[in-house]
Amino acid sequence: MGRRAARWRRWNRAIHRDLGYVCVGLTLVYAVSGVAVNHIRDWNPNYRVTVDTFPVPEASRSAVTDSAFPLAVLRAAGLDGPVRGTFRPDSATLEVFLPALTVRVDLDAQVATLARVQERPLLRRANLLHLNEPRGFWTYIADVFALALILLAVTGLFMMKGKYGITGRGAWLTGLGILLPVVILLVLA
Amino acid sequence: MRLRAILAALLFTGACQGASEEPGTLYGEPLTLDEVTPVSAILDDPDGYLGQRVLVEGMVVAVCEMRGCWMDIAGDREFEKIQIKVDDGVIVFPMTAQGKTALVEGVVEVLELTYEEALEAARHRAEEHGEEFDPTTVTGPETTYRIRGHGAVITD
Repeated sequence: MGRRAARWRRWNRAIHRDLGYVCVGLTLVYAVSGVAVNHIRDWNPNYRVTVDTFPVPEASRSAVTDSAFPLAVLRAAGLDGPVRGTFRPDSATLEVFLPALTVRVDLDAQVATLARVQERPLLRRANLLHLNEPRGFWTYIADVFALALILLAVTGLFMMKGKYGITGRGAWLTGLGILLPVVILLVLA
Repeated sequence: MRLRAILAALLFTGACQGASEEPGTLYGEPLTLDEVTPVSAILDDPDGYLGQRVLVEGMVVAVCEMRGCWMDIAGDREFEKIQIKVDDGVIVFPMTAQGKTALVEGVVEVLELTYEEALEAARHRAEEHGEEFDPTTVTGPETTYRIRGHGAVITD
C-alpha cells in the first residue's frame, strides 16, 4: 500500500512539474491579457491612440469639393499620403483616412484633429489569443490549456504531505480560495 | 534546441500578425451572398429590409476602439453610413481597418433606445472617442437601423 501510494505521488509530482513548465508561456499570456482587458474601461488594451489638433486655414465648405483638398490638409499636418479614402459624415466635416491615421477636419472652425493609431504589439497579440480571435485550431489549443490548468490545480492539491498538505494548512487555504468567489457571488446576488 | 524554440515562437507571432492584418481578411463566417445592396437602399426603406440578410459594401469610417465590436461603413451617398454590429468577442474588427473597404454580410435590425438609453449610448461613444460628452446632443428616444454582421471581408 505504501509503495503504491509513493508511486502515485511520484506520478502526481511529475505531472504537476512538467505540465507546469509547459503551461508557463500560456499562463503568462492569459494573465497579462487578463489584467489588460479587465481595465478596458480605463484604457485601450490593444491600441495607443494619440490625438493632435492643428489649424487648416484653407478649410471651408466650398474648398472640400476640390479633389486636391485632402492633400492640402495633409500638408498642413506635415504628412504626405497615401490617402486611403475620404468621408463626409456631415456637411461641416471631412475625414481623411491614411494607414493607421485619421484626420478629421472641422470645415467651419478650420481646425483638424489627427488621430494616430498604434498597436500595442505584445498586448494586442496576447489579447488576440486570450479572446480567441483566431478561432479554429486555437480553440482546441485553448481547450487543452484549460484542461491542463484543471490538472495543475488538482495535482497541486497533493504535492505536499503532512501539516502543509491538503490535510493541514492546505485545506484551509484551498477552502479560502473556493470561498472567495462564493462570497462575492452571494454579495452580488 | 533553444534557438529552434525561439524561432518557432517568433514565427508564431508573425502568423498571428498576418491573420489580422492581411489584405482581404475574412472576419467571422464566409460570405454567401453575391448581390450587393446599396446602403442608400436600406436607409431609404429600413423597415422593408428589416430581418433580411444583405451584403453591403463601403469604406470603413469608424471602428469600436475598445472591443472591435462594431464598425461604421460609408454609404454610397454623401453623409450616409451604416453600423455593423457584431457580438462581443465573436468577431473583432481591428482599428487599423479605417479607410479600408469592407464587404459585409448580415441581417438588418432595428435598435430602439429610450431617452435614457440613448443618453447612455452617447455618453459611451464620447468616452470611447475621448471626447467631452454633451448631453444636449440627445433630444429624445432614438431609433437606429444597423446590420447584425455575420461575416466580413476587409481589403486595402
